[in-house]
Order: sequence, then C-alpha cells, then structure tokens
Amino acid sequence: MTAARRVAGKLGGLLLTLFLASLLVFFSRFLVPGDPVSFLLRGRKPSPEAVAQVSAQYGLDLPPWQQYLQWLGGVLQGDFGRSLQYRQDVTAVIGERLPVTLGLVVMAGLMIAVVGLVGGIVAALNRGRILDRTVLIGLTMLGAIPSFVGSIVLIAVFAVQLGWFPSFGSGDGGFLDTVYHLVLPSIALAVVFVVLVGKVTRSSMVDQLGREHVEVATSRGLGRATVVRRHVFRNAIGPILTVSGVLVAGLIVASSIVEAAFGLAGIGSLLVQSVDRLDFPVVQAIVLLVVFAFVVVNAIIDILEPWVDPRSAAGAGAR
Amino acid sequence: MSDPQHRTSTHRGVRRVSRRGTAVVAGILGAALALTGCTPPATEAPADPEYELTAQTDAPSGDIDSFSWVSYAEPYSLDYAYAFDYSDNQVLSNVCESLLRLNPDYTLTPALAESFAHPTPTTWVYTIRDGVTFHDGTPLTAADVVASMSRHLDPAVGSSWYSVYQNVTSIEQTGDREVTVTEASADSQFNLAMGGSAGVIESAATLAEAGADYGNSTGGVNCTGPFSLTEWKSGERITLTRYDDYWDESLRAKSGEVDFIFMNDANARVNALASGEVDGGWMVPLEAAPQLENSSVGDLRFGMSTAVSSLIVSNLDGPLGDVNVRRALLMALDREGIVSAAAKGYGEVTDALTTESVWVGASEAGLASAFDDLSEYPYDLDAAKQLVEEAGAVGEEITLVTAPISSDFTVIAQATAAAAESIGLKATIQTVTPNAYTALFSDPSAREGVDLFYTSWYLSSPDPLEMYSVLRTGEFSNYGEWSDPEFDQVVNEAIAIDDPAARSEKTAEAQRIANEELPWLPLYTGPMSLFLGERITGVAPSIAFLYYPWAATIGAR
Repeated sequence: MTAARRVAGKLGGLLLTLFLASLLVFFSRFLVPGDPVSFLLRGRKPSPEAVAQVSAQYGLDLPPWQQYLQWLGGVLQGDFGRSLQYRQDVTAVIGERLPVTLGLVVMAGLMIAVVGLVGGIVAALNRGRILDRTVLIGLTMLGAIPSFVGSIVLIAVFAVQLGWFPSFGSGDGGFLDTVYHLVLPSIALAVVFVVLVGKVTRSSMVDQLGREHVEVATSRGLGRATVVRRHVFRNAIGPILTVSGVLVAGLIVASSIVEAAFGLAGIGSLLVQSVDRLDFPVVQAIVLLVVFAFVVVNAIIDILEPWVDPRSAAGAGAR
Repeated sequence: MSDPQHRTSTHRGVRRVSRRGTAVVAGILGAALALTGCTPPATEAPADPEYELTAQTDAPSGDIDSFSWVSYAEPYSLDYAYAFDYSDNQVLSNVCESLLRLNPDYTLTPALAESFAHPTPTTWVYTIRDGVTFHDGTPLTAADVVASMSRHLDPAVGSSWYSVYQNVTSIEQTGDREVTVTEASADSQFNLAMGGSAGVIESAATLAEAGADYGNSTGGVNCTGPFSLTEWKSGERITLTRYDDYWDESLRAKSGEVDFIFMNDANARVNALASGEVDGGWMVPLEAAPQLENSSVGDLRFGMSTAVSSLIVSNLDGPLGDVNVRRALLMALDREGIVSAAAKGYGEVTDALTTESVWVGASEAGLASAFDDLSEYPYDLDAAKQLVEEAGAVGEEITLVTAPISSDFTVIAQATAAAAESIGLKATIQTVTPNAYTALFSDPSAREGVDLFYTSWYLSSPDPLEMYSVLRTGEFSNYGEWSDPEFDQVVNEAIAIDDPAARSEKTAEAQRIANEELPWLPLYTGPMSLFLGERITGVAPSIAFLYYPWAATIGAR
C-alpha cells in the first residue's frame, strides 16, 4: 500500500514536472530575439503572400497560448511539429539521431560506472595509502579534462597519428562498426564524469567502512570480501545511484560537444545547431526529452532505492 | 585592379546563416586549442602567400568506384526552391539540372532546354530537350518544366528564388516541347538565372507525390543529373550514385559514388583532409592552407570566385550619411593589411562590388570603364582625417556589429573600429550571436542603431547587375536604404538591355556610381579554394560548383 502510494506520488510529481517544463520550454522561445519566419525565408526577398502562407503553415500566425495548446496537443500524440531548418517532422529528425546519442551515453555510462566504481572502491579499501592517493589524483586529473579538449587529444593521437580509430562519423550502421566508431567519443564524454562517480563511491564506502555494523560484522569473523560486499557496498550504493541519476541528463547535454567534435549526428549536436538556427520545434522537443529522461531516471532511482537499500524504506515508513 | 584571371564571388546573408553552427563549434575548439596551447599567435602577419588560379586540374586516368567529399554544413534541403547556399547547392548541382548550365568559366550553355528564344522583350521561350529521363526512368516533358518553375510563384512554397520570378506573369506550355515565360516588363536577368537553382527542373509527379517532404532527407529528389540521390543519413552524410542513363555523354560521372560528409568543425575538416580520411573539399579553412599545401596527401588549389568582401553601410542618418565620411573611412582602412590578416593573404584589395568574373559577355569598353575608371581609395590617413573634418563629423559615433563566425569577422571589425577612431570618429563594436548577425540581413528592426556590418557577397548569375539591382531604392537587401535616382535609372535601363555587350556599358555606369557613392565599402576579393586528395583529380576549381555538375568530372588520379 505504502509502496503503491509512493509510486503514485512519484508519477504525479513526474507529470507535474513535465507539464511545468513544457510551459517553460514553450514560452521561453518568445523571449529569444529573432523571428522564425525570417529564418525560414533566410534573409531573402520574400513576397508578402509567402510570409503569410509560411507563417500559417508553421502555426506562427496564432497567438502564443493557442500555439502552445496546439503544440501540447501534438506532443501528447507524439507529434512535435515540423523542423524549420530541415522542413521535416521533428520526430523523424530526432528519431534519426537518437540512436547515436543513446549509444554514446550508454557506452560512456558503462565506462564511467566501471572506472568510477572500481576506482572509488579500490581507493576506499586502501584509504590513506599510496594507491588511494594515486587513484584520487588520477580521477581528479581525468575529471579536469573538458570534453572538447579530450576530443581533440583523442582524435590527434588515436585517429590522426596512430590511425587506430576513425575520427568522425558513426559508421555504416552495423552494431560492431557503430561501437568501434563510438569508442573515442565515449571516452571523451566519460572522462569528465568519472571523477564524480569515483569520489562519491569512495566517500560513501569510507563512510560505511567506519560504521558500527561493519565493525560488528568483521568482529563476528565474516570474511573481508563478504563484509565489503554485503555490508559496505550495499549500504554505500544509495548516494552512488543518486549521483548516477544526475549524470544521465548531464551526459545527454554534454554529448553535444563530443558529437560536434567527432562529426556524430546525435541529438546533442542537433540541439546546438537548432538553438543557433532558431529551430524552435526541435529545441523544444529535445529539451523536453532531456527533462523527461532526467525525471524518469530519477523517479526510477527513487522507487528502486528501498529495494536496493532496505534502510531508506524503513526510514520512509517511520516518518 | 585585380588580375583579370582572378575571379571572386560574393557570399550573401545566406552563407552566414549556415555557418553559424560551424562558428559556435569553432569557437569552442578555438578555446580548446588556446587551453592546450597550440593556437598559433593570430597577431603574426606572415608574408602573403604566392598562389595562382587553376582553371582545371589534371585529367583523370580513369573511373573510380567512389570518393568522399567534406562539407562544412549539412544542406537544409535539397529542394531547389530553397537551395540558396553552398552546402545545398554543391550537392544539388550534381543531382538536379537546370534549363541552362552555368559553366566553370561562368558562361551559360543549353542544358535541359536545348535552346531558348526571346521573341518579344517580355517573353522567353524554352525548347525542352528530347531523350532526357529522370532518375526514376520517366521522360522529361514540358509539363515537368511548367510544374517545376511554377513552384517559385506559389506563396505556400516560399521560394528562395522568388526575386528571379518577381516579374513573371505566366509560365505556360506552348508546344509539344515548348514552354513560354511571360514577364510584366523586359528583364534580361531572368534568363541568366536559369543556369542556377531558379532554373532547376524536377519531375512533376515526384513533386506531387512527395508534397511537403519534397527535398528533405526522407522525401528526397528525382532529377536528371549525372548522379542520383541514394541515401541521406541525416546529420552525417549524403550518398550519390552514378545515373547510368544520363543524357549528356560528355558529363557522364567518372565515379560510381560520391559521399558528402558534413563536418561543422574546421579542425575536424582539416584533420580529415590531411589524414586522407576524406578525398576532398571546397572552401578549405585558410588557416590550414600551409599545412595542406605542404601535405603529401593531396593538392590545395585556388580557382575563380565571384565573392566580394565589403562593409555594408546600414545607416545613412548617422555620420556615414555623408559620402565624404564613407570615403574617409575606406581610406583609413589598411585593406592590404586586412587581406593578410583576415584572408591569410589569399585575396586582393578591390574598389568594386563585383569581380570581373561575372562580367561575362561584356564589351572591352564596358569592362574597361567598369574597372579602370574607378576612383581608388588608397590608405591615406591625413586625407581621410581632413575629409572628416570638412564634413564636421569629428567626434561623432558609429556602431558596427560583428559576430564570432570566423576569424575574418573579428579582424575586420577591429580594423574598422581602429580606422574610424583614427579619423576622429568614435566607434563601438557590438558583438552579437551569429544568429542575431544573420537577422541583420533579414530583419530591419535588427539593424536599428547599426551603422556598419561586414559581408562577403557572391553572385549566382554571370551578370554584375545581380549585384547592382540589389542597391536600387526600396530593394530588400539595400540595407542602408540608400537611394540614388540616377543609379536606379541606370540599373533599370541596363536590366532591359538584352545584348550583354551593350548592357555591360550601362552596368559600368552603375558600378562607377556605386564606387563614387559607396553605399557599401568594398574591401577585397579572394579565390575559391579546393583540396584534392591523392586518389582523385579532374575538376575545375570555380565557384560554379554551386550549379555545375563538378563531381561528375572527378575520377582516379
């Protein structure tokens, strides 16, 4: 019952967040200087009838609130309107690019998880020793490399100099070829976030290692591996999950830089281009998509947490 | 004046638009380079490079399976009605054909129209070529021509080429293979534009079938060119395939396929070319010219262009309303220095708003009076200061707008502000986003309070009147609302003259007025650049690549 209520509450909050986001996303475009129609006509000499007709085609002749209702009605049916720059349905434009960004985010996420978790755990278990400091310094150095610098260095070394990896594009569409093309971009995207996961993992683990129940478990003669697995890591995972939720949205947004540098047609580079070209329908769709991904991932984490970490459920019940 | 071989082309508001994406990313990468310490100091002015114009690269040794080509941007659309920019037209020119063909030397020859006639001053009659098929195998008919051309008149389409058609009153099939265009007044320019996108012919059935998706990455196109569009992987690449039933044997494609790869980032383009990952590209970033010129993976070539880089005077109510202040500002600009810094030396100072390359069919007298009789504005600070003093403009303020689009924008903005200050004006540089910069070209409210902005303006037809007709009173792109009744009359008279030689003499008058009055301040012209990798050869480096099926001539080295 409590669990069901929690889930229902989460869903309600999720829908409210999305609704508010849709308002913000839609109306913010009226604050941006620039006229979508003059973009559509791209500075050429239009006939007055053309201006009127083109405005009508894109619904730009309606008052803003009507435009919003029309847009929201479309969005609820999966229709995000038509892209001004590509003269194509927004769903088609984004649909073609989404797989690239998802692939990039998944690969980078895996790298972050593996390097960050392993680094954080190794550091925590060797707290204060040379290995701890080496890992911390290593992670901090990686985290200090902005994606665009990482991209340039990776391309210069592994694509241009050594020729091991391609420097642009997402390949011919085959799974292995796509993975091969996404290796360097994923690394460039992952480096910034590795330090975050690593440090949270380490401090969360260190925190747990000092807890009484761990000492109790150890004094009962349980093996170190078992203690770490069952008592330390399981309890430490909450904060790590929370941080990972934030990461997902961050990765999608940060992918724009990496995608641009590696000539990948993902939604990150599309977002930058679309902002630049006043392509409001596309910008609105992508921003809404990112908000959606962020909210959903965090809701899932919230809902999952009690199962992963029984204490938070107990705590919630006691409240 | 410029070397007669030296052709220049103009880029219009439009190119700025599509380069916006490029600019943002370039900015980011510029910052990255600065952080990693590999930026060459921008202030160093190296000796100007030696370069010569190439008319045609070596002939290919034979066919090639495929080659790849890099583009700084993805086409917005392959719909010829919207193809108004480098990125669209460099692809489209190989796939779709026009009634006439604009050749690399900017001459016009028959293409889908095997001939044309001009029986009355206001009618153009096109005889449609027999034996031509669209890529889906259906034959070209007069009805296709009528349908294709009529789209420019349809306000729902919002054609980019509307201005070409603005005098057109009817487009009709007047015979089995004959189409007649009637205009409200005599207009020599209409036929000249039929070599460009305004004259492209598409299958009427395809237009009806694809509807609103025509020309986008899902709708595609079905034309008559030497290549057909086989795949458009949105955001990444376009693949063209040789069309085996192409009608013109002399332009049969030598390559089985061509891959256009979109790379917004200038460094990425240079890397791809230098590492041989991509076989070639137009408009190479000039910063990388030394690197590419000395590379062993291909050749950097320069060819004719029609662009002129200039400063648009967009406010004649301010101090620049006085022609002497405009002249003074031009004389205070060290234009040789600007060529070195902004164009890395690949260019020449000019006092005209057109290049000689667009004066096709001009008489010798016309060409001479157009270029030799121009007032020159040599760098002369003392004379410039005196002009400003005489005009009583000392201490007055001007605002110039720039945007982080490419390095030439920054160089020119700073040089112009410094020049204005040096002659007693107060200058403010306003830096706006590339997008806001583009709005200057389309939105009068964006130009409020703006005195000057930079452009590089190219011409799409082999006639300088394309430039000067823009500067007539009330024209959309006459951004400063400059008005000179004598100039208007000269241009209008010239437009009505059919004979290119006679017309050129009239147009020369317009060029001389613009040179005296300086509604825009001409700065310099530069060549079109081309990089060819070591696998391929056989192309004419010319800005005609926007309308001529250049990729068809490229084969194996």
